Amino acid sequence: MRILIVEDEPDLLRSLAQALREEGYAVDTAPDGEEGFYKADNYGYDAICLDVMLPKMDGWEILKRLRKTKKTPVLMLTARDQTRDRVRGLDTGADDYLVKPFDLDELFARLRSIIRRSANKTTNEIQIGDVKIDTAARNVFVKDKLVELTAREYALVEFMALHRGEVVTRTQLYEHLFDENDETLSNLLDVHVSNVRKKLGAEFIVTRRGHGYCIE
Amino acid sequence: MKIFNSIKWRLQIWYGFFLALVLMGFIGVSSQLEYDRQFHNIDVILSDHTRTIMDFIGRPPRPDESERREISAPTGPRGGFHLPPHDIVNALFDKTGTNGFYFVIWSQDGEELMRSINAPTDLTMPTDQIWTRMRGIYREQFVPFPGRQPVCIILVGHSVATELKEFHKSIIKLIAWGFGMLSVGLFVGWLISSRMIKPIENISTTAAKISAGDLSQRINVAETESELGKLAAVLNSTFARLESAFAQQKQFASDAAHELRTPVSVILTQTQTTLTREREAKDYKETVEACQRAAQRMKRLISALLELTRLDAGQQHIKRKRFDFKETVHESVELIRPIAEEHGLKLISELAPIEITGDSNRLAQVVTNLLTNAIQYNKPHGEIRVKLESQNGLAVLTVADTGQGISHLDLPHVFKRFYRGDKSRTGASNAGLGLAICKAIVEAHSGIIEVESQEEVGTTFTIRLPV
Repeated sequence: MRILIVEDEPDLLRSLAQALREEGYAVDTAPDGEEGFYKADNYGYDAICLDVMLPKMDGWEILKRLRKTKKTPVLMLTARDQTRDRVRGLDTGADDYLVKPFDLDELFARLRSIIRRSANKTTNEIQIGDVKIDTAARNVFVKDKLVELTAREYALVEFMALHRGEVVTRTQLYEHLFDENDETLSNLLDVHVSNVRKKLGAEFIVTRRGHGYCIE
Repeated sequence: MKIFNSIKWRLQIWYGFFLALVLMGFIGVSSQLEYDRQFHNIDVILSDHTRTIMDFIGRPPRPDESERREISAPTGPRGGFHLPPHDIVNALFDKTGTNGFYFVIWSQDGEELMRSINAPTDLTMPTDQIWTRMRGIYREQFVPFPGRQPVCIILVGHSVATELKEFHKSIIKLIAWGFGMLSVGLFVGWLISSRMIKPIENISTTAAKISAGDLSQRINVAETESELGKLAAVLNSTFARLESAFAQQKQFASDAAHELRTPVSVILTQTQTTLTREREAKDYKETVEACQRAAQRMKRLISALLELTRLDAGQQHIKRKRFDFKETVHESVELIRPIAEEHGLKLISELAPIEITGDSNRLAQVVTNLLTNAIQYNKPHGEIRVKLESQNGLAVLTVADTGQGISHLDLPHVFKRFYRGDKSRTGASNAGLGLAICKAIVEAHSGIIEVESQEEVGTTFTIRLPV
């Protein structure tokens, strides 16, 4: 899962990015509105945390422009907690709204929720054959037995599971699993896929040659 | 509400009381007049008759009459009194009718000398000095007649039953009228006092609503010229000021809370992230440093808020001392000069000595703040010009920079609390209170602060203080 954070307070930006990375997300950051919009418009993110008051271009403007091309779920972060601000945010196309100061747990839960909703899932649990994925606890079970996965492996499984039945291209996987700071060596992805197959069963991820991967 | 606590009722009671008093006086006078009118005529006739009798008694007997009188007098002359002859008396005083006039004559020592036939039997000689009296239904006049010695007392009377009846009737009529007038008066009074009290009730209803928290309520004043209309107008303007003060206060509190949200978010996120697992010493240090920065920011904000609150509280916190403003400005300029030079800016000052009254520390704060802004928003290798001069009895200080200027959209708002124009221009750590504080301090010194700006050319702040 790859997330973009747009926030102008450097300390907040840094600690949010760190917190989300430790949660297993690939995280990109933008310190102002222009850069935020550029990244949001040019890369595929699973979710965007967007501050409202930003230099150069404010959160409303970014959201308005982004909605012309993309449906990326957006969580607005703001210090304004009046109802009319919230209504405005939701009406402009924000998927959720979080008022500063917030608890990190709540931020995580809301992010999971908007990502889940954008994949048309209603619960935290995804069942695929014998494999059960708990997206809240970030655990994977095979026949009710917990399987240890690395953060990257888990992210791969979750992303594929949320796009079950679709063919996911290697580019998409790169975009969603690795952030802008990662070295994207092409065989790194193959290593992760192979490890997941070892742990969850060889048939769990199917290779569509020339297209990508798929969970059926 | 107790009746006696209500102004309306008190008004009504006093009004009713005085109206009743006036009516009673009126009835009293009217009945006296009516009484006099009723008995005046009869009194005149009684006097006539008395005089007639007196004529008879007082006239010396003529020789030719003497015989006849002796004969006709039923009792004859007694004790030397010459009494009027019966036939004449009978002609004057009706024999039978009870409504007719009657008379009695007594001697001085109470012996009855003569009485007409129709005189009431219970009639006794009057002993008091009043010459006219009412005795039951009889009106009587008596007079001691000294025409002849010894003195005799003549009483003439007449029944006034009809007149009394008339009199009582008219009294009853008067009282009935009085009660009628009183009720009409009370009713009209009630209407008038209700009408007069109505605006007061309006005022109190509105005030109650406002006290309950609805500050948008106003008293509906139709007539603005009356005393109550003026009161209502004064109250309305008070309410309006209250409302705007409340709104300002609310906005201020909300803005202050808003400014605190970001640093608190930093602290929360930093600490929560750091505490999820064991960290290296370096990470902890970073977290603590970030928290410290956030806390510093909150501290700055809180002192700015306190400063504004104190300035809002009034001028009593401003010291009033005579000092040379030039010295103050000079100190601030020299304090800032190294920072300006660090930014590669030229700081030029041209100061004339001017004595003013006020708080030199506070004014130094204003000057420092303006200079800091001038540095912050200047162009590289720009200039800052500080000029202090005396103009028309005012100390005029200008701080001009050659910076990017302020957009005409933001210009009218720069002195507003928490107002930040373009976010890229003002740093995130700037809460937008600096200029608001400057304005509050200058105004506490009865001065004026103004700003002029042209984009890409520069901004000039001007302060005018009374000398």
